[in-house]
Amino acid sequence: MFFHIVLERNMQLHPRHFGRNLRDNIVAKLMKDVEGTCSGRHGFVVAITGIENIGKGLIRDGTGFVSFPVKYQCVVFRPFKGEILEAVVTMVNKMGFFAEAGPVQIFVSNHLIPDDMEFQSGDMPNYTTSDGSVKIQKDSEVRLKIIGTRVDATEIFCIGTIKDDFLGVINDPAAA
Amino acid sequence: MSLVSDSPVNSSSSDDFAAFLDDALDSGDSSQSSPDDDEDNDKDKDNHNDLEAQLPNDLDTQRIKRRKVAEELENIEELQASTSHSSLEQTLEASKKKDECTHPGSFGEMCILCGQRLQAESGVTFGYIHKGLRLQNDEIVRLRNTDMKNLLRHKKLYLVLDLDHTLLNSTELRDMTSEEEYLKSQTDSPQDVSKGNLFMLTLMRMMTKLRPFARTFLKEASEMFEMYIYTMGDRAYALEMAELLDPQREYFSSRVISRDDGTQKHQKGLDIVLGQESAVLILDDTEHAWTKHKENLILMERYLFFASSCRQFGFNCKSLSELKSDESDTDGALATVLEVLKQIHKIFFDELKDNLVDRDVRQVLKTVKKEILKGCKIVFSRVFPTKYQAENHHLWKMAEQLGATCTTELDSSVTHVVSNDVGTEKSRWAVKHNKFLVLPRWIEAANYMWQKKPEENFSVKPNEELITPVCSNANS
Repeated sequence: MFFHIVLERNMQLHPRHFGRNLRDNIVAKLMKDVEGTCSGRHGFVVAITGIENIGKGLIRDGTGFVSFPVKYQCVVFRPFKGEILEAVVTMVNKMGFFAEAGPVQIFVSNHLIPDDMEFQSGDMPNYTTSDGSVKIQKDSEVRLKIIGTRVDATEIFCIGTIKDDFLGVINDPAAA
Repeated sequence: MSLVSDSPVNSSSSDDFAAFLDDALDSGDSSQSSPDDDEDNDKDKDNHNDLEAQLPNDLDTQRIKRRKVAEELENIEELQASTSHSSLEQTLEASKKKDECTHPGSFGEMCILCGQRLQAESGVTFGYIHKGLRLQNDEIVRLRNTDMKNLLRHKKLYLVLDLDHTLLNSTELRDMTSEEEYLKSQTDSPQDVSKGNLFMLTLMRMMTKLRPFARTFLKEASEMFEMYIYTMGDRAYALEMAELLDPQREYFSSRVISRDDGTQKHQKGLDIVLGQESAVLILDDTEHAWTKHKENLILMERYLFFASSCRQFGFNCKSLSELKSDESDTDGALATVLEVLKQIHKIFFDELKDNLVDRDVRQVLKTVKKEILKGCKIVFSRVFPTKYQAENHHLWKMAEQLGATCTTELDSSVTHVVSNDVGTEKSRWAVKHNKFLVLPRWIEAANYMWQKKPEENFSVKPNEELITPVCSNANS
């Protein structure tokens, strides 16, 4: 799920950045530092949308660095247990398949793939129904349900299932 | 009905009410108390679980709730018609089994089946498939079984391939001798990997030479086998080499196993290969890496192209690179072994009579090997140290694996005398009785080339140095 929230961060800045462009420098550094990172609480920071305010800088003893408390608005993405997500399949093997929704890595075990879909090996491994009408292979888009999540410092892992109504392939790259 | 004594809530003010309930329910239940179908049963079990959970906490429940409690106890007792205590345990256990996930594996420390966070790290890591993937033994067995059926339907077996000295040879640039400098100008372009066979990997500071026939080998073997790469090199190296061998990623996909993925140090194991051991063949030049799977192993003659590799294995002769020569393309080691693989594949699928699933490729391998020196009766002369137990010597074992009979006594049925020296008693006997007198290399050659080599090429010459170093590829 996406959230638009306000977060706070202390930015340490070298004195060489002080001057007319101080604010721009802080924002640029903030974007560089924060966008694309993960936090266990908020999930993946997709983009910074605005700066609420930049507080008074505090000179650190001994170094000359100044730390500014910055409040910023950002869009974060965090998967939840029970959430329905759309994801792109990245790898298919006999154990199941891996998919990605942005930075989120999702594994769907073959236990959680409908029983009528069977693994087919070959240079393009896939899961196919017996009549061949539905096929999951690399680059397929699937709709899946998250049943477990783990967010660590840089990555989000999820376990997903497509063994439920209205889940499974939503587009077929082979047909396109 | 014993609501009063069973219920933990036992305040005197509600006793009367409970007794009244008992009566009312007894009569009321009889009308609905013969639910034999499973659905009702299940519902009751579930209700009962709720009840179990509630009981300790809800000491101060209101009467309505107690009525529900009474009702449920009632139902259970009527249904189970056994002593209430044991039936309670049974239902509890049954429901526990239903809820409990066996956690067949984990991805990022979560169970792949129920999504629960798992604390203890257990099972085998499959880092080569995806970071953070682990599987329990039961699940591995299950996967192997299903995969096996799938594979047999496609008439395929598994083939595990070693990289260094089997499919290719690499050297670090700083180890190259001055005589090898010319190679640097002959490297193939890294843009079109699929054609060339000599590559300079500037980033890794290495030069890699593919073994002649490697590309044809992979192409033909991929039709009979699902192939794995398994190398003692590190992950980055393994992937780089896989890229050279298989630029289209049609042969190996993610089945590239490196040192980092193994479960034991300095050992290779089939435990992380998702294939049943009875259907796996291994191509490797190092026997002791596979102590547990010798029966699956086809030992390859080492491919030593660069001088540094020759030195590494103790050969002081000029390397192929220095001689500006190479293994033969059409009857080098890979071409030979491809023929063997084809033969084994054919026997496995076309000639064995028993059930497909029960067939064992290790047996086939053994039988094929036994044909090579079949009918030869070998006597060794001055090959083993005197005090050495002859039966334990590797040449003795090798000869027996190749189907020859080994003995220590000379008689008329002996066909070959193996010796380094023409002067021994047995050697002279061989010459006198017109038997073959061959060098120990003859057995090794048969072992590597998978065929009986003409004895004339291995005849013992007088004054030949004891145990001539077998310069690699001397046969080609």
